[in-house]
Amino acid sequence: MDSVFDAGKYVSWGVVSISLTNLLVILAMVVIFVLALVIPFPHDHESPSDGGDA
Amino acid sequence: MSTAPPDTGGGTWTAGLRDRLSRTVPADQLLPDRQPAYVASWIYVFGVLTLAGLIVVVGSGLVLSFGGAIWWHTSSLGHFVNSVHLWSVELFFACMVIHLWGKFWMAAWRGHRGLTWVTGVVAFVASIGAAFTGYLTQSNFDSQWISGEAKDGINSIGVGSWFNVLNPGQMLMWHIVLLPLAVGVIAVLHILMVRRHGVVPPLGDEEVSS
Repeated sequence: MDSVFDAGKYVSWGVVSISLTNLLVILAMVVIFVLALVIPFPHDHESPSDGGDA
Repeated sequence: MSTAPPDTGGGTWTAGLRDRLSRTVPADQLLPDRQPAYVASWIYVFGVLTLAGLIVVVGSGLVLSFGGAIWWHTSSLGHFVNSVHLWSVELFFACMVIHLWGKFWMAAWRGHRGLTWVTGVVAFVASIGAAFTGYLTQSNFDSQWISGEAKDGINSIGVGSWFNVLNPGQMLMWHIVLLPLAVGVIAVLHILMVRRHGVVPPLGDEEVSS
């Protein structure tokens, strides 16, 4: 039977210790952040390109 | 509806409040149907995704309250709703943190938007409290372990007698009443601040959009 200490894998770097799952989630968020910056947003071609008035 | 200038109402508190509200967020800014061109970027989507996540979190939490804290242990429907609650929280936080990153790197407190930034920070902190008390209301060994670990931290800051993480009833009340109320009120204030000042323009674009 596995003990609770066997549950999950951890990445250790000096004083930093983080579960592999949490690390992957954070990396995925960083990737999504970068993609949100670089992927073009779909435009409505019928609207003027200078946007609205808000 | 009349288009006449606003009536001062003879100094009544209702008229004063109405006047204050209309000056804080004019009606045409409250629910706009157009936005500046720079808002057409995916990074501006994560604020409203966070709001959508919060709505699902609160909605699934309301459904869970019908069955009670241990409903999800004994019912497949309860388990499903509990999972919706959990994963909507995960998406809520992920979107909120990406929203935070975006707003930080575009210095979103510019242009008298300091209060918008501060209400966002407070909403983030209150949300963390709501999430942590959620871990304490799972009614399983995980919540027992977490509360056992958390009590030392809470006691170390001297508030353990008022905020007892070993008391599941108290933690449930904080989780489903006090903290959601705080997050909801702060989120509304945050959104009103956004609507009052508008979406922050990109760095270097202030003179174009002002």
